[in-house]
Amino acid sequence: MNSTAIDTALLERVVGKLPGDTLTPFRLEALRRFSETGFPTTRHEDWRYTNLAPIIEVSNLWLRDAASGPAEIRVDDAVTKYAARLASQIDAYWIVIANGMVQMDSLARLGEHALRRLDAISVASDNLMQPVSAEEPMTRFNTALLRDVLRVTIRAGDALDKPLGLLMIDDASDGASISQTRVIIETEPYSRAQIIEYHASTGDNPLFANAVTEFELARGAAVDYVRIQNRDPAHFQAGKLMVRLRRDSRLRHSAFDLGGGLIRNDLDVDIAEPGATVELYGLYLASGRQHIDNHTRIDHRVGPAASTEEYRGILSGRSRCIFNGKAIVHKGADGTDARQANHNLLLSDKAEIDTKPELEIYADDVKCSHGATVGQLDKSAVFYLRSRGLDRDEATQVLTRAFAATIVGKSTVQAVHNHVESLIDHRLQTLAGGLS
Amino acid sequence: MLEITNLKARIGDTEILTGLTLEVNRGEVHAIMGPNGSGKSTLALVIAGHEDYVVTEGSVRYMGQDLLSLDPEERARIGLFLGFQYPVEIAGVNNAYLLKAALNAKRRTQGQPEVDAFEFLKLAREKMALLDMDPALLNRGVNEGFSGGEKKRNEILQMAVLEPRLAILDETDSGLDIDALKAVAKGVNSLRDPDRAIVLVTHYQRLLDYVEPDFVHVLSGGRIIRSGDKSLALKLEEKGYDWVREAASA
Repeated sequence: MNSTAIDTALLERVVGKLPGDTLTPFRLEALRRFSETGFPTTRHEDWRYTNLAPIIEVSNLWLRDAASGPAEIRVDDAVTKYAARLASQIDAYWIVIANGMVQMDSLARLGEHALRRLDAISVASDNLMQPVSAEEPMTRFNTALLRDVLRVTIRAGDALDKPLGLLMIDDASDGASISQTRVIIETEPYSRAQIIEYHASTGDNPLFANAVTEFELARGAAVDYVRIQNRDPAHFQAGKLMVRLRRDSRLRHSAFDLGGGLIRNDLDVDIAEPGATVELYGLYLASGRQHIDNHTRIDHRVGPAASTEEYRGILSGRSRCIFNGKAIVHKGADGTDARQANHNLLLSDKAEIDTKPELEIYADDVKCSHGATVGQLDKSAVFYLRSRGLDRDEATQVLTRAFAATIVGKSTVQAVHNHVESLIDHRLQTLAGGLS
Repeated sequence: MLEITNLKARIGDTEILTGLTLEVNRGEVHAIMGPNGSGKSTLALVIAGHEDYVVTEGSVRYMGQDLLSLDPEERARIGLFLGFQYPVEIAGVNNAYLLKAALNAKRRTQGQPEVDAFEFLKLAREKMALLDMDPALLNRGVNEGFSGGEKKRNEILQMAVLEPRLAILDETDSGLDIDALKAVAKGVNSLRDPDRAIVLVTHYQRLLDYVEPDFVHVLSGGRIIRSGDKSLALKLEEKGYDWVREAASA
């Protein structure tokens, strides 16, 4: 089997087998456009460091099965159990999307309070027409195989008393699996919300999860968004979040990559109207042979507007991480303030970080800054702690944890703090294996 | 308590301590004075166990033990405390957390039960009141965003909580306004005890107006060139260091 490209003949057969519904015309258009390009290769500047061969291999395996077998998506008990356990740890209104399908029982459980403040609809179940974008190869692939779309509208007025949780969980119990998840979030003017996007997986077979979220902040809307990626270390993910900000809206986004084997995240922020404020924070912890690639792009189309970005990474073993932060200040976007920082802690000399801030400025009256650091723990801090009686391991642990905790502290979604902190502690124990 | 004999130490290729001898007994307060670059901070850091400094000759004995064979944390746990000239800012590590971890590390080593959160807070608040410190600093990152004076008070707070047997305070008075200086001096004086020794490393005589030393030593060129009582400090203040150096080389 050719593992350098998606088998488009198989893909066409699988798309053709999907039941006809309101998504069909979008699928066919996306299929046509995907077939022209296939997946991006490392010759593409934005994909230089991330070779998709393992993802292509899983996808072709799954396509072969799907082309000959039934196209049904079955949800394993493991998924239900995982969702219940997570709900007991993070208090939120959870909507579960399993292998791309919105779980209707989770919608039914939202309850009266939540439904007064938001609308949540499964496009497939309601047979609704929902135009979906398909601008880039990964998103086209997602659209071509789309079975369902979750559409959420956050209403104006009082905010929800708890965060809205979107659990994107994928199961690979029955064999190699790929999934296409699609969420569209809209906000009414001046609405406010906390949103958790949680990526998880179950099952021992290879898995590629491809998730795309489209999100628009209306005038004056304010959203605190947390993305937590806690996948099985053998599983792959491509995740994309496209955000558009209208006048005076505010987004605070915190991303935690704490699991996964091969992970690529794209966060595209489009500042479409003046007065918007964007804060992006990120933390990635990688060990073994994990590969975590974060690409962010902020388009300052108008000013005044402010964006702040800080991503941090801790790497051990032979892991490899990529941080690419692009900020484009378009012509006329005067009054733009764009700041960006990326700090990395390398716990092993075999780990690799490729960090690249990219600033493109076409306006005159702007303030922009960026900086990146790669290094080990501050020796003077280690000595300071030891001089107070903490032994070397303890001092190292405390400082490593503090490096990560700074990013946790940036998120105002208190409901996830304990959970994220315990995941980080657990991960740091694994990473500590790469200390020596 | 502390016996330093013919100590020689270098950093990289530069020899900084060139044969230093000093004896400090329990209950005593010593002041070590000297011009910039004379080796004062190096002496403090070598005693605390900083890895950048290599001891090439001589010995340091503390309570009868070979101090130089111990790790920095072992030295701390048997009652040695260094107040840093430049306390490190550690974002993300809670000040209270560090204090409690340090106190319990010492207590474990000395066979005492660990303090719980309640006992610890009571103790910390008591000591902070003594030093006229804002209790909110307890919940900040260690020295994170502290002013110069707050950092130095925080060092004294750590000392007050840890109750060391031997405290070495490296330029604790530098950069302090008069109120902060008085608060720091109050903290130091509160720890004067027949079983405890304190070594003040300082450039100026100012602190010694508030903390009266039993002995004053002049460090120059990496060794002690003159020792005396409190009046030596006053003479240095008046005449500078040159006359001691001239007298020593004569």
